[in-house]
Amino acid sequence: MNLSTFVMRRLLHMIPTLLGVMLLIFVLFNWVGGDPAYILAGKISDPKQIENIRTQLGVNQPYWVQFWIFIKQVCTFDFGRSWATNELVSDVLLTRVVPTLTIMVPVLLLETILAVLFAVLVAYVRGTLTDRMVMLGCTVAMSISFLVYIIVCQWLFGFKLGWFPVQGWSDSFITNLVRYAPLPILLAVMVDLAPSLRLYRSFVLDEMNHDYVRTARAKGLSENTVMLKHVLRNAAIPILTNVGIALPGLFVGSFLLEVFFSIPGLGREVVESVNRSDFPVMKAITVYLAVLTMLTNLLVDVLYRWVDPRVAFK
Amino acid sequence: MQNRPLPSRLFCRNDAAMAQPALIKTFAAMLLSATCWLAAGSAFAQDAQPLKVLRTSFRVAETGFDCQRLSDVYSNDVCAQIFDTPLEYDYLARPSKLVPSLLREVPVPEQGGLVYTFRFKPGIYFAADEAFKGVKREIVAADLEYSIKRLVDPAMSSPNSWQVDDRIVGLDELAAKAKKDGKFDYQAKVAGLQLLDRYTLKITLKKPDFNFLYVFAMPTLTPLAHEVIEYYKDDITAHPVGSGPFKLVQWVRRSKIVLERNPEYREEKLDTTYANPNDEWDREVVKSIAGKKLPLLDRIEIYPIEAEQPRFLAFINGEHDLLPETPPSYAAQVMPNGKLSPTLAAQHVRAFVELQPELTYDSFNLDDPVVGGYDAQHVALRRAMAMGFNRGQEISIIRRNSAMAAQSPIAPGIVGYDPTFTAVDQDYAPARAKALLDTYGYVDRDGDGYREQPDGSPLSIEYKISSGGLSYLMLSQLWEKSMRAIGIRLNIVTVQFGDLIRDQKVGKFQLTGAAWIADYPDAQNFLQLFYGPNTGSSNNARFRLSAFDKLYEQAIAMPDSAERNALYREMNRYILAYVPWKLGVHRSYIHLMRPWVKGFKKHPMYHSRFKYLDIDAVAQQAGHQ
Amino acid sequence: MSSVMGMPVARSSEGPWRLGWRRLRRDHVAMWSLAITLLFIFIMLASYTGLIARNWNAEVAASYAEPTFDKVTNTDIHSPIGIQRPEAGPPVDISDIDPLAPRYQEWRERTAKIQAVQAAQAVRLPLGADQWGHDVLAKTIKGSEISITVGIVAALLAVFVGTALGALAGYFGGWIDTLLEWLYNVLTSLPYILLILAVAAVFSRGFTTIIMILGLTGWTGIYRLIRAEYLKHTDRAYVRAAQALGASHASRMFRHILPNVSHVILVQFSQNVVGFIKAEVILSFLGLGVPVDMVSWGTIFAETQEELVLGKWWQLVAAGGSMAILVTAISMLTDAMRDALDPKLQE
Repeated sequence: MNLSTFVMRRLLHMIPTLLGVMLLIFVLFNWVGGDPAYILAGKISDPKQIENIRTQLGVNQPYWVQFWIFIKQVCTFDFGRSWATNELVSDVLLTRVVPTLTIMVPVLLLETILAVLFAVLVAYVRGTLTDRMVMLGCTVAMSISFLVYIIVCQWLFGFKLGWFPVQGWSDSFITNLVRYAPLPILLAVMVDLAPSLRLYRSFVLDEMNHDYVRTARAKGLSENTVMLKHVLRNAAIPILTNVGIALPGLFVGSFLLEVFFSIPGLGREVVESVNRSDFPVMKAITVYLAVLTMLTNLLVDVLYRWVDPRVAFK
Repeated sequence: MQNRPLPSRLFCRNDAAMAQPALIKTFAAMLLSATCWLAAGSAFAQDAQPLKVLRTSFRVAETGFDCQRLSDVYSNDVCAQIFDTPLEYDYLARPSKLVPSLLREVPVPEQGGLVYTFRFKPGIYFAADEAFKGVKREIVAADLEYSIKRLVDPAMSSPNSWQVDDRIVGLDELAAKAKKDGKFDYQAKVAGLQLLDRYTLKITLKKPDFNFLYVFAMPTLTPLAHEVIEYYKDDITAHPVGSGPFKLVQWVRRSKIVLERNPEYREEKLDTTYANPNDEWDREVVKSIAGKKLPLLDRIEIYPIEAEQPRFLAFINGEHDLLPETPPSYAAQVMPNGKLSPTLAAQHVRAFVELQPELTYDSFNLDDPVVGGYDAQHVALRRAMAMGFNRGQEISIIRRNSAMAAQSPIAPGIVGYDPTFTAVDQDYAPARAKALLDTYGYVDRDGDGYREQPDGSPLSIEYKISSGGLSYLMLSQLWEKSMRAIGIRLNIVTVQFGDLIRDQKVGKFQLTGAAWIADYPDAQNFLQLFYGPNTGSSNNARFRLSAFDKLYEQAIAMPDSAERNALYREMNRYILAYVPWKLGVHRSYIHLMRPWVKGFKKHPMYHSRFKYLDIDAVAQQAGHQ
Repeated sequence: MSSVMGMPVARSSEGPWRLGWRRLRRDHVAMWSLAITLLFIFIMLASYTGLIARNWNAEVAASYAEPTFDKVTNTDIHSPIGIQRPEAGPPVDISDIDPLAPRYQEWRERTAKIQAVQAAQAVRLPLGADQWGHDVLAKTIKGSEISITVGIVAALLAVFVGTALGALAGYFGGWIDTLLEWLYNVLTSLPYILLILAVAAVFSRGFTTIIMILGLTGWTGIYRLIRAEYLKHTDRAYVRAAQALGASHASRMFRHILPNVSHVILVQFSQNVVGFIKAEVILSFLGLGVPVDMVSWGTIFAETQEELVLGKWWQLVAAGGSMAILVTAISMLTDAMRDALDPKLQE
């Protein structure tokens, strides 16, 4: 089949999945989402007031009415206002996504570049002590919890050494990028580098086991040329696939980082909206992320098939 | 912080165009722009007057600035800087004293506390806002009437409506009618709200109430301009427009709040009537800001930071100038042995220690078949549990010694608080607890280490806390350990925060933890938590004792006096006897500030009082080198 | 097989497991990792049966006692604690309104008979004490027992669910596969953190809860792999042969195919254990971890958050160190197992 049919098919497949996601979050919220009316009612309240709030929020209506409203909201991208702060939900999403991306995009770029670089270098010296030490180092680095990294690094670099501000975020993009983002970015790269390095190293080594590499060497090409022109090109496919899989995660970010560094991002927003039983925000973030995940998967699949002509559209 | 030149537009105000020949106009324009340019340039060159900027933090994030609709402490705090209230608390007087702010004088209770006449000062204006379309808008008595009506408007579902519910003649009927009609009629006349003239509002109450005036020191009952409400509609939480010393200029939700001085704020200076010459903080305040026109700060940046370590480190690192409510975990580091740490003392940091008008407590559910009840057997169970809880460890380990064991539900500094009153059977006494349980039949018959009920059925009690966050985690660990030590099985149950609030209100719990901070400085605000008819609204313990209720009803009809204090004492004795609560602690907080922050004295009823603060900007800049 | 025409006798073919084990044995690093893992499991069993760390919950020392090899005792503070009240009067008398008043005398007598708590013995604290005065070494041992148990049981659950669903999807195909694919897509489209918070909200905080949370959200990875394997194997000759011989669906799925994919399952299980041990730390930080009266590496880390700025480093080092060692060991073992069992990597 050709490209457009493939894309059409996949887009159609997205609809039942999206409905499934909506159903799941709807059921979850109504079953276990906590009662927002009591939080909004304040210290001193009576049942009359609670009922009043419930009606305002619309949770008194029968379930199918609420779900139908949900479907309409998804189609129009309008989820109304946050129950906790009365902010427009679309504003909430737009303003929160920028800080998250300010952290996550540099993280992804840095981490991919560094991981590929080190993977190639390590593949050069495969089997030697250096290789094994690096791999051991990666394994040890991966065994330490992210939480521990954050606690220790925030204390060490922010407090003890004073190299970075301990926390914070400003409204100027440049200030954020230059002053507030570096420490969280550094932390995230440190933590993500090890697993990526291991993975990319295995991709590169897999490639190097293929026949064409032996042929290239037999032809007398230098190791450099073999690695960079042939192996890396072919290893790029699984590497890019891996990057593609990580793309949706870019948008939700790391809520741990955001909580510890007071970054007003989407990850933190998810946790807070659950704690406050703020259903409109929860709905919006979930639907938005689900759609994004499916679209990026589609994009990655299309690119993959375009890059590797051996793979046909199925 | 780098210098900014004073905005040159201050020097270039254009007067109304005059009918002059074109040449003179051109010449004048050139002269004017040259002057502006020079002024701006000289400001650049001279570092003339660096702006006074205060950077501080909140330990809980705000939600929004429509203070009638929202009730959290920190949103209210920002509103208190933006809105003037009819009455306020004097900055220096302790205990708290109401003084007039927008009103000419504090209204005197008339007809035995049934009628209050509010007389506004003329000539106070709302800050300029586009909702006023260029008109300078004066505050009038009708604005307070509008504000009171809006508070009970069913469409608002305000959590603060209790402040006027069932008090003002005719208001509740109008609210009920609005519920039926689906719309609140703001033009309708309310019998209890009479506009005597442009600046005078007469309020008539249903029953005598001597604590009524306190609610007018809260930003919920401040005069509101209906034009602003109608103009911004649902966006009103982002557009607070008041007559107060500051304006909201920037708001990044849950991340940054920026206030700037309101240039049209009325003439106001510090009132030194109640200054205490023996108090070092009073002396510093008077020295720093007496005689100066308030507010003194140009700009305030508030950063809500909920995680403790970053918020604390932000101050230590010099990013913030003021740290309100140092996280208790760091209290021992900041003030080891009650004295400021040498590191901070060397930086001339000042620390204000405040015992807040609040207390923590654990509430039983008096309607529960296992832990509730007013008979001796069940009272014994609750008394034993109260004595079995190791409050000493709570204070020393969890609260790091920055807390005072509560002897009654009334907090220190509150009118009606008795510093000599000492509770009985609330402190740690495990031997007495065990003996009491043995006496009333709560014995371990099957040898599993836990006691059963007197009738032989198993005894298991649930302690309910919220699942989000670690705030009550250590406390619940201590409860579980303490109860295990006296042989009572205690299960910790976690639920979603919203569900916890609901369960507490509807009585679906056995034991739960909570805290209460004073809304106004009278003991009634605490004792109403035990008043029978308040069950379901604020009396979460569901305590219904007619002897207590009778005393309460007597007390609320009396002004502050020795007789009323005697009634309060009696009520406390009943609470200690029947143990609806295990009393917790009054927490003390340390507020830290850099030496260039001046004029600070923490008021128990306000979280921040920025209009009295000053910054020595030169010292601040030097401090950052 | 007997030699008939003078041909050399071939040895009976060894199973893939035997071969794998032989290869593993030759890898020194893998052997060390195995030894360390077994050591931890041994400690975990000893802790579970109460041989060691039974009294981890006892307050044996002063709050935040420093690590030392000397013996220390519990120095309970009897001096005034907290903020004092200089004007405090005597305790108020409530005997006239107290429902307990009639039996005051009996109560007093019983109190007098209850013995005071005996003085605590001195203990050694090589890793110091936490803020309650618990021995950090005992706490770390108990914590590793809980964390490892959570990791293993949750991994078993995830592997069980993932394998079952993957087998069904890969073997039957058709609408079952479509349905399971849909379920998989829905679950992976939700942000992981949201899923965790949602499952956590269903059940109250507890030991089984955290296992359910991890197991029910972590099966998707192995599902994918097992499904792919079953897709590959279902059409293979040996399965068709079994079908011809009358084997039922269940028999084909589990008696024939399953053993051939078991190496994948083992490796996945091992990876999941590591992943879940790390996830438990985050969950405990969020307050969704093990119950309040239990200790795990996660709850220890949650406490270290404030301790570091106070300069109390011993809990962080103890829990961090032991977790790092175990997780590294299991990871290396997993890698070695994968290499040893993977037929493609053989000469």
